[in-house]
Amino acid sequence: MGRVLVRQVLFLLGLAFLPAIGQALYYRGTVSWQQRPVDSAAVSVEEAKNWGGAVLWVDARAEEPFAKAHVPGALRLDEDGWDTLLPSVLAAWSPERKVVVYCSRETCNASHAVAERLRHEVQLKNIYVLQGGWEEWENKK
Amino acid sequence: MKTRVLFSLILALPLAAHGALVWESESADLHPSLQDKDAVAHFKYKNTGDKPIKIVSVHPSCGCTTAALAKDVVDPNESGEITATFHIGDRSGVQQKTIGVTTDDKPGQVTLLKLKATIPQLLKISPTFLFWAPTDALDPKPITVTVGGDFPVTKLNVTATDKAITTEVKPGPGEKDFRIFVTPTESGRPINAALKIEPDFPKEAPKTFYANVRVDSRAKAAAKK
Amino acid sequence: MTALPRSKILERILAIIVGAVFIYAGFLKARDPVHFASDISNYQMVPWSVGVRLAFYLPWLELVCGFALVLHRFFSGALAITIALLLAFLGATAWARIHGIDVSCGCFGSAGTNLTLAWHLAILAGLLLASIYLWCTRERVRFA
Repeated sequence: MGRVLVRQVLFLLGLAFLPAIGQALYYRGTVSWQQRPVDSAAVSVEEAKNWGGAVLWVDARAEEPFAKAHVPGALRLDEDGWDTLLPSVLAAWSPERKVVVYCSRETCNASHAVAERLRHEVQLKNIYVLQGGWEEWENKK
Repeated sequence: MKTRVLFSLILALPLAAHGALVWESESADLHPSLQDKDAVAHFKYKNTGDKPIKIVSVHPSCGCTTAALAKDVVDPNESGEITATFHIGDRSGVQQKTIGVTTDDKPGQVTLLKLKATIPQLLKISPTFLFWAPTDALDPKPITVTVGGDFPVTKLNVTATDKAITTEVKPGPGEKDFRIFVTPTESGRPINAALKIEPDFPKEAPKTFYANVRVDSRAKAAAKK
Repeated sequence: MTALPRSKILERILAIIVGAVFIYAGFLKARDPVHFASDISNYQMVPWSVGVRLAFYLPWLELVCGFALVLHRFFSGALAITIALLLAFLGATAWARIHGIDVSCGCFGSAGTNLTLAWHLAILAGLLLASIYLWCTRERVRFA
């Protein structure tokens, strides 16, 4: 009985292998096999501060929290007013700068959504999301 | 799909046993049309217990979603609903937002109402930004515009906010594509312009799409030559 | 052990249910292996290089075992793999919970309970129980 079981298990494990290999071959050019794709590039407050003036800070929060306080020099950009706010960000941008997007804290989604659009629609390079968001920036003052 | 029904049955049963305020559904799948500015979901609930329940807080995950409550105390056997309005703005594609609801019968616990809206994308513009560095030659660069779904767009009207930017629209690689070739003409100044892209559909309520163009000053580079 | 209630019809139905769930789950994951690789990576249990290869293999293993259960072929083997997979999934979900990893990553923030996690675990546990029951009541065959 044991032998039958082992044979069946090995057969099924092997059978699944075939389409898996096929699919992997199909995707081989587009998948990163070694490291997680840098898509969700995050940067800590310390590191971002070290970059100094090279950073273009983008605040993905709403008008009210932005007006109350924001990272010095930060420009606001959120999905609600994307078309109106984007031009100012683009005017301030240059290829050597690093864009760091933040929202209220680590778990909010706005910074990731804005960063994704900057990467894919606007096709800018060096887009980062601030780890911990505005909360962390305040903590590290 | 049998399994999906099975899943939702399994999921629904314990929900009924979970607490006095019972939700008809905790998720909404919305498909707003092209002209809609908002996508609205109604989350209905009923108090199946014998004590009145107070809805303590209703907290949407982002500013783009507002939630309205008719009244906050729900008597036994009473039904009500939370109306969630998701403001579409300039968004497109699949958007998922949540609304956290806390009630006084389960302090410390949050019920997450999930709102999923599939926003139709009339045009997909890629990229939305073109940049010429001081050392780049002023060669034309293309922007690919793909028409989404079955929208009958036959023409694009493109205008630039700066006369130094010229554009030419050609039919694109695919059947439903267009390509806008953007060429900056020589000017001694930096250019920060927007391109207004207007499709010929829908005629009654035309939508304008935008792309941005930046050409950095070549005055320095020219002076070096 | 012999006191287990038996019913061939019940066993067949359970096998089909478990098999169908695995076929459905495997199909969903096989459609987008890159997305699955990203999900595995969120659990932070294995490095990306391992996770991405698992992401390409596991969905097909689920599909193959699911079909085996439904068609009642290679049944014992499929059951053994199914039980192992369910234990692994339950373990991973428990791991993520212990480490406070929010794999659903909603933008709501540090809220209270996440209802769907509890039911996710309940469904996995239900499938595991059904699979163990099927294992205990399976026919011991003397030929392949």
